[in-house]
Amino acid sequence: MIQDQQVPRNALAWIILSLFTLVAPHAARLPVWVLAVYAIAAGWRIMVYRGRWSFPGRRVKLALILTAFLGIFASYGSLLGLEPTVALLLTAFALKLIELAGRKDAYVLLFLGYFICITQFLFSQSLPVVLYSLCNVVLVTSALVALHRPGEHQFNRGSMRLAVTMLAQALPLMLVLFFLFPRIGPLWTVPVKSHTAKTGVSDFMQPGDIAQLSKSDAVAFRVQFDGPIPPRSELYWRGLVFSRLADGAWSSLPYYAIPARERRAAAVTTAAPPLQYRVILAPTQQHWLYSLRYARSSTPGVMSSADYRLFFPQEIEDDTLYSVSSWPRATLELQLSAWRRRTELSLPPGSNPRSRELAQRLRAAAASDAEFVDAVLTHLRTRGFAYTLQPPLLDGTHPMDQFLFRTRRGFCEHYAYAFVVLMRAAGVPARVVAGYQGGEINPVNRTVIVRQFDAHAWAEVWLPGEGWVRVDPTTSVSPERIEWGLEQALQAEGSFLADSPLSPLRYRRFAWVNQLRLRYDALAFQWQSAVVGFNSERQVQVLGRLLGEFSAAKFAALLLGTWALVLLPVALALLRRRQVPQLSALDRAYLQFCDKLAGRGVARAPGESPGRYAQRVVSALPASAAQVRQLTATYCDLAYAGREQTKTSLRQFAREVKAFRPRQ
Amino acid sequence: MQLQGVIDAAVAEIARVLLGKEAQIRLALCCLFARGHLLIEDLPGMGKTTLSHALADVLGLSWKRVQFTSDLLPADILGVSVYDRNDATFSFHPGPIFTQLLLADEINRATPRTQSALLEAMAEAQVTVEGERRPLPDPFFVIATQNPIHQSGTYPLPESQLDRFLMRLELGYPHPRAEREMLLRPQAAAGQRQVLRQCIEASQLAAIRKAVGQVHASDNLLDYLQRLVACTRQSAEFAVGLSPRGALALLGCARTWAVMHSRGHVVPEDVQMVLPAVAAHRLVPSGDFAGDGLALVALLQRSVDVIRP
Repeated sequence: MIQDQQVPRNALAWIILSLFTLVAPHAARLPVWVLAVYAIAAGWRIMVYRGRWSFPGRRVKLALILTAFLGIFASYGSLLGLEPTVALLLTAFALKLIELAGRKDAYVLLFLGYFICITQFLFSQSLPVVLYSLCNVVLVTSALVALHRPGEHQFNRGSMRLAVTMLAQALPLMLVLFFLFPRIGPLWTVPVKSHTAKTGVSDFMQPGDIAQLSKSDAVAFRVQFDGPIPPRSELYWRGLVFSRLADGAWSSLPYYAIPARERRAAAVTTAAPPLQYRVILAPTQQHWLYSLRYARSSTPGVMSSADYRLFFPQEIEDDTLYSVSSWPRATLELQLSAWRRRTELSLPPGSNPRSRELAQRLRAAAASDAEFVDAVLTHLRTRGFAYTLQPPLLDGTHPMDQFLFRTRRGFCEHYAYAFVVLMRAAGVPARVVAGYQGGEINPVNRTVIVRQFDAHAWAEVWLPGEGWVRVDPTTSVSPERIEWGLEQALQAEGSFLADSPLSPLRYRRFAWVNQLRLRYDALAFQWQSAVVGFNSERQVQVLGRLLGEFSAAKFAALLLGTWALVLLPVALALLRRRQVPQLSALDRAYLQFCDKLAGRGVARAPGESPGRYAQRVVSALPASAAQVRQLTATYCDLAYAGREQTKTSLRQFAREVKAFRPRQ
Repeated sequence: MQLQGVIDAAVAEIARVLLGKEAQIRLALCCLFARGHLLIEDLPGMGKTTLSHALADVLGLSWKRVQFTSDLLPADILGVSVYDRNDATFSFHPGPIFTQLLLADEINRATPRTQSALLEAMAEAQVTVEGERRPLPDPFFVIATQNPIHQSGTYPLPESQLDRFLMRLELGYPHPRAEREMLLRPQAAAGQRQVLRQCIEASQLAAIRKAVGQVHASDNLLDYLQRLVACTRQSAEFAVGLSPRGALALLGCARTWAVMHSRGHVVPEDVQMVLPAVAAHRLVPSGDFAGDGLALVALLQRSVDVIRP
């Protein structure tokens, strides 16, 4: 093989290194055998390099490809969908290494490497992932550079230095493209992610569900308020409203279970200035959005439901930014329709007889519905109920009887469940609301970070003349939960994040850990809102502000203009560095003379001396012969004969050159 | 002006016997005026000897020829002391080196010992025999010839020795027209050769050499020369670059060339004209470069601009 076409040892080392760093972020999602393929492929290629083994034959390759397909099918049960296709691509990437013989194969492999780098973003676009893929790009580029440095037998970092320089030069261009390149919608539907169990509030609730959520410290969403942040006891992030109780589980009403005329929310009068905030929601694979009480959103695509929730028509698969205006004091639904009243009062017949009996007893003693609500809360506060993450299991047909009269230990969903059952039993319309409560306020950038363990369930009661009113029965049992959050509420029990010993939240008492965590979170928020959230609508907004009316021609001009603006300084800097010793005025004038002649088709060859060049010019342009001879002689006199280069003589020469017009 | 006329006459005179080789004749004269020694590398029968004879004639120099063989000893060149029975003393019999122009034919056939004896004499312009220093005549000029092929049984001059020669020339085949003219000429009988007229007197030679010392080399020119030298030292194509001695040789030859063209200052053309002869044998291409010294010089000239740094 010709030496040019071989893969140098140095490049091979870089290629194998980048191969492993490329697959590393996918490792958790891949079957173990794919990783084994990587190890074997690298080992095989190294043995080929050392001359022990040979490249695989055609039959072996065919067998390997078939095995890879079968393996992916066996592991995922399908060859379609995002994860199987990425796994297939990664397997093929490893197998390509075994047949990496010449430079051509290396090109294929490395360009595929850039593509694989992008596949990471299909799964996550967070800041660490982006930084990691930048490292990957550096490694792959280093391998490309090393490929062009034959004869380097020792593995060295020289190629990496060059790669970093090249990428640094590409950085301004990257920024320009980021801001200006049109966000083109998908030309085909990207296969959706498989719905692996995502932690988060689900659309039905059984006792124990939210307690399960409280074990996770994953971020559910982040909120940035325009004005001051309300006190945390007011931060009830409504996500779902459960109006239907069946088979011991609460669920929300399906869209088509609601009569057509009830599908729109009743009008709400909003007088006071609203709370303005923006939410960045982590992917939930669900439709609903979280917001404070009575919310409207100006973000395109966000819709409102009859029970005053916000939702998206599509499932949320990526970090999603939406802005909300909320009126926490607004009165909701003063008039309850008959259907709504019936729905919000229904209980499974014959269930929880003791609870019904208790409700009716308390209602009879109370003068109004509002007093009855207070009486129930007092009952919960005074009868020895305990707030715990580890409640005893409730079983059987009358779970609330069991909870209210026997176990008396429960998490928020138990209390919300019991409260609504009591309300409905006494004829007061009520429903369970699920979402998050509170959140951590990050002082660095004044955002509220809401995590899965902030998940909460509370109740809404309809009172005549007041409409829907929020009642949180958990406050009666554990006021700390609302005032301080879950950690304080469970301090005695010690069960907070018991399953995740490494969570940085557990080390909040070390000031610097906490500071670091909050700063990182602020950065992550910035990243999500500024970079990941920079979608086509934001882009059009920003450009609209810059350009005024939007037109394709203006856009193209802006794109090209900015490119030039970014690349020109780089080019100039490079050119400047190349000619560090400045030319003297004399030489500049002479080169100007040469340029004029080059314009006539007689360019000075590299390394050609003035005398020779003049001879050539004279034979090519006889009309200017005398002038060319004279100017060359003057230049040679000044440059070589030791004639003193005075200002006048230089200026004279420069003027003569300027006046010189070569003729054919 | 006067000097140029003399030189042109000398070139014309030599060109009478060595047809169509004016460039090489001029370079050889330049080498001589610059007090350097000349290495001619070419096949047999290309006119090496003719050139050296002609040079000797034109300059009116005494000359001798030594055919180098593998059993040639230093004493064969330098001379020996012989016991004289009449006087009962040792008397020195000078070797062929005591001449103004020495033609060392096929220098690479001799052993390194003999080669170095000659090269030492060339460098020092004197020989030391039996502890006694004996100066060589002035001018002292060596033309060594070397056969580039049939290298078996030879001792090629090492690079360090090649550096001692100011110039290396290749005569090359004559132009067909010149060759035709040569063929048409009546051939001289064997053993006879055409004696040329002496064109340059000893005083004129001294004047030329004096003029060389007065030639002006401007900063611009020295910049160019230094860029050339730096390029040979830095570029990947060169395994061995020009030594400081090489740089001096280059400048010296360029100065002489300027005098030969009756100029009081050196211009880049002078450097470029003498560059192949002066530099080609001093440069060694690196393994990546597929070409000899002359190709390297061509590359050098192309890659170093005269004006632009």
